[in-house]
Amino acid sequence: MRASVTTLRFFAAAIAVVLVLATPHDTAPQAATQLKVLRTSQRTAETGFDPQRISDVYSNDICAEIFDTALDYDYLARPARLVPNLLTEVPVAEQHGLVYTFKFKRDVYFTEDPAFKGVRRELTAADQIYALKRMMDPAVSSPNIWLIEGRITGLDALAAQAKKNGRFDYEADVAGLQLLDRYTLRITLTKPDFNFLYIFTMPTTTPLAREVMEFYKDDTMGHPVGTGPFKLGQWVRRSKIVLERNPTYRHETLDTTHADLNDEWDREVVQGIAGRPLPLLDRIEIYPIEAEQPYFLAFMNGEHDLTQELPSTYVSQVLPEGRLAPGLARQGVRAYRELQAEVTYDAFNMDDPVVGGYDPQRVALRRAMVLGYNRDQEITVIRRNTPLAAQSPVPPGVVGYDPGFTAADQDYDPARAQALLDLYGYVDRDGDGYRERPDGSPLTIEYKNSSGGLASVMLAQLWQKSMKAIGIRMKMTSLQFADLIRDQKVGKFQMTGAAWLADYPDAQNFLQLLYGPNKGASNNSRFDLPQFNALYEQAMAIPDSPERNALYREMNRHVLAYAPWRLGVTRSWVHVMRPWVKGYKKHPMYHARYKYLDIDVAAQEAARR
Amino acid sequence: MNLPSFLLRRLLHMVPTLLGVMLLVFILFNWVGGDPAYILAGKISDPAQIANIRLQLGVDRPYWVQFWIFVKQVCSFDFGRSWSTGERVSDILLTRVGPTLTIMVPVLLLETLLAVLFAVLVAYVRGSLTDRLVMIACTVAMSISFLVYIIVFQWLFGFKLGWFPVQGWTESFATNLTRYAPLPILLAVLVGLAPSLRLYRSFVLDEMNHDYVRTARAKGMSEHRVMLKHVLRNAAIPILTNLGIALPGLFVGSFLLEVFFSIPGLGREVVESVNRSDFPVIKAITVYLAILTMLINLLVDVLYRWVDPRVTFK
Repeated sequence: MRASVTTLRFFAAAIAVVLVLATPHDTAPQAATQLKVLRTSQRTAETGFDPQRISDVYSNDICAEIFDTALDYDYLARPARLVPNLLTEVPVAEQHGLVYTFKFKRDVYFTEDPAFKGVRRELTAADQIYALKRMMDPAVSSPNIWLIEGRITGLDALAAQAKKNGRFDYEADVAGLQLLDRYTLRITLTKPDFNFLYIFTMPTTTPLAREVMEFYKDDTMGHPVGTGPFKLGQWVRRSKIVLERNPTYRHETLDTTHADLNDEWDREVVQGIAGRPLPLLDRIEIYPIEAEQPYFLAFMNGEHDLTQELPSTYVSQVLPEGRLAPGLARQGVRAYRELQAEVTYDAFNMDDPVVGGYDPQRVALRRAMVLGYNRDQEITVIRRNTPLAAQSPVPPGVVGYDPGFTAADQDYDPARAQALLDLYGYVDRDGDGYRERPDGSPLTIEYKNSSGGLASVMLAQLWQKSMKAIGIRMKMTSLQFADLIRDQKVGKFQMTGAAWLADYPDAQNFLQLLYGPNKGASNNSRFDLPQFNALYEQAMAIPDSPERNALYREMNRHVLAYAPWRLGVTRSWVHVMRPWVKGYKKHPMYHARYKYLDIDVAAQEAARR
Repeated sequence: MNLPSFLLRRLLHMVPTLLGVMLLVFILFNWVGGDPAYILAGKISDPAQIANIRLQLGVDRPYWVQFWIFVKQVCSFDFGRSWSTGERVSDILLTRVGPTLTIMVPVLLLETLLAVLFAVLVAYVRGSLTDRLVMIACTVAMSISFLVYIIVFQWLFGFKLGWFPVQGWTESFATNLTRYAPLPILLAVLVGLAPSLRLYRSFVLDEMNHDYVRTARAKGMSEHRVMLKHVLRNAAIPILTNLGIALPGLFVGSFLLEVFFSIPGLGREVVESVNRSDFPVIKAITVYLAILTMLINLLVDVLYRWVDPRVTFK
């Protein structure tokens, strides 16, 4: 009895310890001052802020706020439209797309930094030349080199020289980069290119101050110095990124020329921020959160004001049956639905002796597999009804997208798939339930996927299940991401899954994935059809026009006919925000443009109280 | 053998062990690890770019040269920079170990304290309803995945009840300890308590069955004194061994806790480095962990002597 009492005392003490630990805490962040502070999150950790060394989307987003690019997209225009940013005007294609002249604005200054030794540093055209050269410097190993490689006259020769010498000569003149005066740069290309200007909207091409890069040469990732609307205020790696308003940012206001006043988001943007000097926020706190639940709950809890790219698991909680949940509606939460400019696909290796090739028999096998794959189940079960079935390699929202083009040949039709296989001699000869090749040899297709994500494994399993239903044996091989990329690049696979997110809003950015000479680089399926290649080259040589769209349409037809891809989906995202977040309109090419956002501080404070 | 000689001999034994660890890590990275060049190359790359990145990283050199560089790095404690972020590896370790220890040290202390307390209690009332209930609770608790605890606790205490923030971390140790760390600590303690309690209970029970306990009671010693002075002291050796095994884990933390609560600790760093094939970080963490494990084992061996003077150094 005495022992039991003692036991109870000990238990009571232990529970007390637990209760002390569990003492309620105020979950709201520290009371905000009158500063306009936006708290938001991103789905993965950043790598750093050297615009030419990074390739991940989220680091690029931060760089886009710190650095200014020569060109930008109009915030409100849809489809996306180029506008000048650091330039005084959008360059006009000269000599039939071979030459572009960049005229930089005057009186644009970099943010203060010790690298400038107390001198105010103006941005000039030479900074753009330095940035382009630096992208090609082998020592930088820029993951974005493909954007300019082979495009600017004389620049590749300089890079080749650097590989030989072990040192990139930044002083050397490049024929294609001609400095006309302090603010004017003429770029000459190796061949006509009407999509060339798009790359100057990307942070990776941002003009850079050479002295900053040399001053911080050992840690350029940690010292971004630009001319953008914000500067890096604080950085706790992988935990917190704080952007602060750049007090020396040039005078800029929102251009509302292309606003659609029938659109409620446009109306709010125009009413809220038109005519006001940008940026409007004082501070942005960005928290990388990798797990889905805390990413979602941090918004629901009021810890974050804006959460972009809601995980699909939680979309049904926010938008049950497509309408905002009543509880959230009462709080004034708003949700923005966006169809992303991307396409997912499963690539067949066209060089593979079993699934590759252009003869009718192998084309029939691929087309049958395409027909036999249950994409409807992918959309409804794995992706929870959020995406749109892709109809061509070109997704909606990019120039050259043809809304009238449909891919009926890729619709799920197992009966047609089986008939096609029977017709071309892929039949089950030994009665084991699986088909053999026309010559009687076994037919097993290997599908390589990344071991990193659950969705990737589920998609591979769906392929296995779908193929089994039409009598094709499929083997699934899960690889580390790096190994999967390697195998895709060198063509060591039969089938694999992939996705492509637009770098710039033109169909060419997607169709280049199937251009023969890009084999081993971006063309993972190793599709190399002379007719397709000729059409691609013709399209590259002309500007946006009905004529070019007709070429794109023809290229799409070839893709459906030869089936180097099983078209997947175009994913959609839901972005949610608290009522005090103003000025939001998701741009298809950016995750967020913080410089256009505003906070209603009074409403924010009231809600937190 | 006296203590200095014992220490010297054990320290010398660490050299071949460390060399073995290095060799193993090196072989594993080169054999099963992904090629970092393909990750660093970005969306579009051709063989020439891949070759250039391999050249810049030095992974195109002969294996023996790469291993020799590894040896020099271990000797100089300078592992260079991360391949993916460019951050100094030493900075990565120094900045990430703090958050990990902020969580894991309280977890270890609380878990050990509570587990020992409850173990002594339930062992003392062995066979009673309390003992059975506690053991059933432990078995049930151990049957549930840690991930389930995290998801439920985060939802319940962080979101539904609002007692704790859902996630977050600051630069202030005090804020972290009082605001962001309590929920992960509570979770880890509750989850770790069940297996430790069962284990320590068996250690205590084992000691309680010895003759010296009966003799002590026969001599009229109080139950309190028998349990705390004699039984607990003798049970301390296996408990210490168990703690010694768990101690290096403090420094790598819990990956799940760090990911779910956005704690910028070493656990998250390890997994991220493996995903990115960031070999300099993997090398440094593995080598430091190996050294730490060996030093902690040595410390535990020395502590045995302190706990039980009958133990001799051999």
